[in-house]
Amino acid sequence: MEKSKSIHITIDGKSIQTTDGANLLQVAHDNGVRIPSLCYHKKLTPTGACRLCVTKINGTPGLVMSCTVLAKDGMDVIAFDQELEETRKHTLDYLLAEHNDHYDGPYYDELREWAKHYDLLNPLNRKYPNISKGLNYKTDDTSPILTYDATKCIKCFRCIKGCDEVQGKNVLSFSERGITSYIIAGFDKWNESECDGCGECVQLCPTGALVEKLHMDEINVDNIDKKIKTTCPYCGVGCQLELWVKDEKIVRSNGVEGVLPNDGRLCVKGRFGYDYVHSPERLTKPLIKKEGKFVESSWDEALNLIASKFLEIKNKYGNDSLAGYSSAKCTNEDNYLFQKFVRIVFGTNNIDYCTRLCHASTVTAMLKSIGDGAGSNSIEDFATTDCLFVTGNNMIETHPVTATYVKNGKYKGQKLIVCDPKWTPLVKYADIWLQPRLGTDVALLNGMMQVIISENLIKLDFINNRVDRGLEAFEELKQLVAEYTPEKTEEITSVPKEKIIAAARIYAIAETSMIATGMGMSQQVTGTNNVFALINMMLITGQIGKERAGIDPPRGQNNVQGATDVGCSPIVYPGYIPITNDENRKRIAKIWNVNYEDLSGKPGLTTVEIMNAAYDGKIKALYIMGENPMLTDPDLNHTEHAIKNLDFLVVQDIFKTETTPYADVILPASSFAEKEGTFVNSDRRVLRVRKAVELPGEAREDWKIIVSIAERMGYTIGKYTNASEIFDEIAQSAPMMAGISYDRIEHQGIQWPCPTKDHPGTSTLFLDKFNTPNGKARLNPVKYIPQSEKATHEYPFILNSGRILYHYHTATMSRKNKSLRDFANESYVLMNPGDVIKFGFTDKQNVRVISKQGELETKLVSSDQVAEGELFMPWHYSEAPVNRLTRNDLDPFSRIAAFKLTACRVEKK
Amino acid sequence: MISEKRIALKNAGKYNPEDINEYLSLGGYKNVEKALRLNSSEIIDTIISSNLRGRGGAGFPAGLKEKFTRESVVDPSIQKYIVCNADEGEPGTFKDRIIMEQDPHVLIEGMMIAAFAIGASKGYIYVRGEYSDSIKMLQTALKQSYDKTLLGKNIFNSGFNLDIELKIGAGSYLCGEELTLLESLEGKRGYPKIKPPFPAEKGLFGMPTLINNVETFAHIPYIIEHGAEHYKSIGTSDTPGTKIFTISGDINKPGFYETELGVTLRQLIEDFGEGIKNQKKLKAVLLGGAAGTFVDESVMDTPIGFDSLKEKGAVLGSGAIMVMSEERSLFEILYTVLEFFKHESCGKCVPCRIGTSQLMVLMDEAKNIKTDRKKYLEKLLFEAEYMAKSSLCPLGQSPILPIRSIHRFFKDQF
Repeated sequence: MEKSKSIHITIDGKSIQTTDGANLLQVAHDNGVRIPSLCYHKKLTPTGACRLCVTKINGTPGLVMSCTVLAKDGMDVIAFDQELEETRKHTLDYLLAEHNDHYDGPYYDELREWAKHYDLLNPLNRKYPNISKGLNYKTDDTSPILTYDATKCIKCFRCIKGCDEVQGKNVLSFSERGITSYIIAGFDKWNESECDGCGECVQLCPTGALVEKLHMDEINVDNIDKKIKTTCPYCGVGCQLELWVKDEKIVRSNGVEGVLPNDGRLCVKGRFGYDYVHSPERLTKPLIKKEGKFVESSWDEALNLIASKFLEIKNKYGNDSLAGYSSAKCTNEDNYLFQKFVRIVFGTNNIDYCTRLCHASTVTAMLKSIGDGAGSNSIEDFATTDCLFVTGNNMIETHPVTATYVKNGKYKGQKLIVCDPKWTPLVKYADIWLQPRLGTDVALLNGMMQVIISENLIKLDFINNRVDRGLEAFEELKQLVAEYTPEKTEEITSVPKEKIIAAARIYAIAETSMIATGMGMSQQVTGTNNVFALINMMLITGQIGKERAGIDPPRGQNNVQGATDVGCSPIVYPGYIPITNDENRKRIAKIWNVNYEDLSGKPGLTTVEIMNAAYDGKIKALYIMGENPMLTDPDLNHTEHAIKNLDFLVVQDIFKTETTPYADVILPASSFAEKEGTFVNSDRRVLRVRKAVELPGEAREDWKIIVSIAERMGYTIGKYTNASEIFDEIAQSAPMMAGISYDRIEHQGIQWPCPTKDHPGTSTLFLDKFNTPNGKARLNPVKYIPQSEKATHEYPFILNSGRILYHYHTATMSRKNKSLRDFANESYVLMNPGDVIKFGFTDKQNVRVISKQGELETKLVSSDQVAEGELFMPWHYSEAPVNRLTRNDLDPFSRIAAFKLTACRVEKK
Repeated sequence: MISEKRIALKNAGKYNPEDINEYLSLGGYKNVEKALRLNSSEIIDTIISSNLRGRGGAGFPAGLKEKFTRESVVDPSIQKYIVCNADEGEPGTFKDRIIMEQDPHVLIEGMMIAAFAIGASKGYIYVRGEYSDSIKMLQTALKQSYDKTLLGKNIFNSGFNLDIELKIGAGSYLCGEELTLLESLEGKRGYPKIKPPFPAEKGLFGMPTLINNVETFAHIPYIIEHGAEHYKSIGTSDTPGTKIFTISGDINKPGFYETELGVTLRQLIEDFGEGIKNQKKLKAVLLGGAAGTFVDESVMDTPIGFDSLKEKGAVLGSGAIMVMSEERSLFEILYTVLEFFKHESCGKCVPCRIGTSQLMVLMDEAKNIKTDRKKYLEKLLFEAEYMAKSSLCPLGQSPILPIRSIHRFFKDQF
């Protein structure tokens, strides 16, 4: 991008250096010239509505609104003189004439501040009669999360523009005209509109016309104890939050403006989903199961019991009879110590976590093809790439803030291709929606490549220079995909060939194309192959290795990325260093100050394999930190047997979960708001997590619990006084984070790789070379393999599962928030209306869904979001646990389970 | 006795506007054919030297606007637009309606010539929704022009392409304001935009756009046919050519009359309008509609032109002439005018949204007082001046026009 020219302007005689074309009001504000304004906000396009920012510019006739002027070299501006100040006072007096003065404190009122400044707070000082009473406005109180009071609205457009320009939702507008106009959502009422509760409008409202309901009666903005900047505990976008704390309680969550990745944006979970921290259901004391019942115990008793049982099992059955599940919700520091604990204290590599259940196949394919499993781009690149291919990723619901960048790009002309068997809200924005039958992704992608190759839309230079074995490898791919003609591909996938051709052309021809790939691709027995095919298409079109191009698997949880980065994997140490190599073991043993011979060189078991081993009696003890396998794992009946078969189970969590009933000891741990640490988000950004409130009861920070168990087992896994010291050791262990420390990420996170202290971090991967041994990417041609799981007469439907906007993972956290429950709190199964009629069901009736593995009860919802023959269920709800139905058939390469594809039948209840 | 001189209405009434063949037999589209053989700078130079001024009310030189639009982007692959503002909503104005109902083809011809001159290949006519007859005539005329391949691709085998589409407004006065009109054309709510950028630079869909009033376009074929020198010989030096005046109110023969500029109000009222109804005396003329000026006897003999009226504290505006006899109360007429502004204010900017209401608060107070209303006139003037200098668009800048003119000419009758 062209660098803006540096210029000089003068405001009230003060010389100011700025850039050509900068917004004059912003320049004034940045340089301490406090020109009044209400409708302007730096992340919105200027509106020119409030008319307070009047200035005079030498050479321009009349008064000029500075928010609508671009700075030019030599511009001579008067910001304050008697006429301007009188005009401003006049305007404010007008505004106050249509305004309800009542103020009770739960928001900053910018109008009130300016009224004070111009001595207009006292109505007696005003010149104009109040005309607001005649307008008969009604308050809209229907939204679960906000209220709109038109009597306090100054009609500045900030909410509308926030909803349109920032969030891309276009829900808000004015009803009526002129003096009687007021904001509406959709056609009228908030709860009947498409508002999904992100609260961007509330954060942008300058006067308290839009106020969040949550803790509205408890907040006085002048009376907040502290404001803590931290990282959101929900999905992997890593939004930066500012938590407001009053009397040791979080009372508000705002997005932090001007800081990546979110620049003030949040979704409904990030803004309204923090009340779980203070839930009365929090675990506050260790619990030990005695005679089948949990009884409260002291920490001493619990820790001693755990230490002795772990040691007993280790001595009796060997190191590999123990295993640990770490947590994508915990910090890097917690996870790092957890894997260190498993490797040193248990002496095994049986350490894994839920990543195995989500992106393991993606990572496997990416590691093999391009050498890195992390996203190649930055989240904000979603707004600027020319083409985006979103596949198996319901981004608006699962990564809402990333999706806002997509929508921003879309409005600027980006091409968007969505590939999903189920309708997702992103389809509304798509140029093309490809709706393949479940499990036919490889065929579809091979078909697209056949078009790209036959139309010669490949990038030969890229293939020659950056692909291993260049043309030779390409020829192999070409031969393999040749049979996937548009006609044949349509036959397999049911996607019309015109769409296949159009999508292939758009993706290949675009100057830059990015791929977002999600659970729809990865959670299949062919998960790794799916991603191989995707990468093949990316490589032959050269859509990686340059800015704004590449492949990005948005991470589902706050710290999925970080937990693997810091070594919670059965095969790699922190920094993706293989455990099987002696040199690597020696290196890490030195950092950890242990004998390298004591570190196992044998690859450990993965998540589902650990369960299977428990089922077979080979794993005897399991230490679970913040995971809930009794809801997340496939084929829960099998999982239940396996867990019951354990000799000893420790669960460390903040709530009782579906898994805790099976534990022998439950340890009360810390939420994100009660500890210091870091998360790594989807674009490899290491972000600070900060303590906002004290731990409840006797709950402890996770890393301290891990250290205590080790101590009582006779091991020292490190002496740390705070999380920062743990991070320094992570930086020492993982070369890609070597240059990062807390002091560097105080203001904004840094994207790894960041190998040295003076390295700025890396926003785009693979610009020069791939992370493979020879620096080149590898093509891995794959054939379409028809799914073994098929609809049958007995099980005529194929069930798909996924997430919804309002809940997160097993909903342990999200369902403890009233705001989120008010939006969604009930399980359902979607069925195509054609099938509803064909099978004699009625909409909203209660049904049983049955697979070979198990059954559950839920409510049937008739919806054309799914194709005929297919079903969809959200998997958050423990009362209708979808994984009672799923299979534990695994992808042979990554060991991920086939969550997305289960043959089922539906029966009336 | 003066007589009519017709340019915009040259063919009006002379042919059946629903039959393009009749129009062609009158020499229709010959001027387009002629223009397409010229190069675009010749056309623009001709319009500039004719000194044609925009007939929508502001009187901006039409040729300069074309020049700016042509030159804002040189790249021929950049889409440019031509837009006709046919959202005639100024009270007392019905000149565009007559053109569209009686001679829709002259408008199409004018747009075609201007489109060729600026390099636009797509045009829109944004017509007032209540004008059902105009809409019908334009629809028919456009269809017939396409059928005759006078619109579409490769017009007159010149390689010039132009599509013109009709867009129907939805009843907002403000959408007659050019930037608001463009916003509405884009499918958005009719709110005024920040200016600059001007349409010549960033107009419809952010692309260079020429937007002119119906009557302005209707003059272009005539100028191409007869040349700039001839055109300049008509009218006055400040405003050459003719103007359609729409005369209404307390007058014996209301109607539309096109004649040379330089004519006086007295001539228009007496010769065309045949004098005040019921032999009453004239009290005032509201010139230019709601966003216009009240004038008295002292302006009756001023030769009409954009600048000559301005010198007298009046505006020509759209050419609406509303005649008020001695029996009328100017207070009541001003009341109606200001109520109109309050009703039509879009509410986007504070001075207009609240100012139009505050003006009515003052008018209502004055109404009840009856005596000593003069101090209210001063207050109205103060508020309207503030609104004029701080409002976003011409609507908020308009109440000052009638108020100041009453202050100037009728202070004693308020």
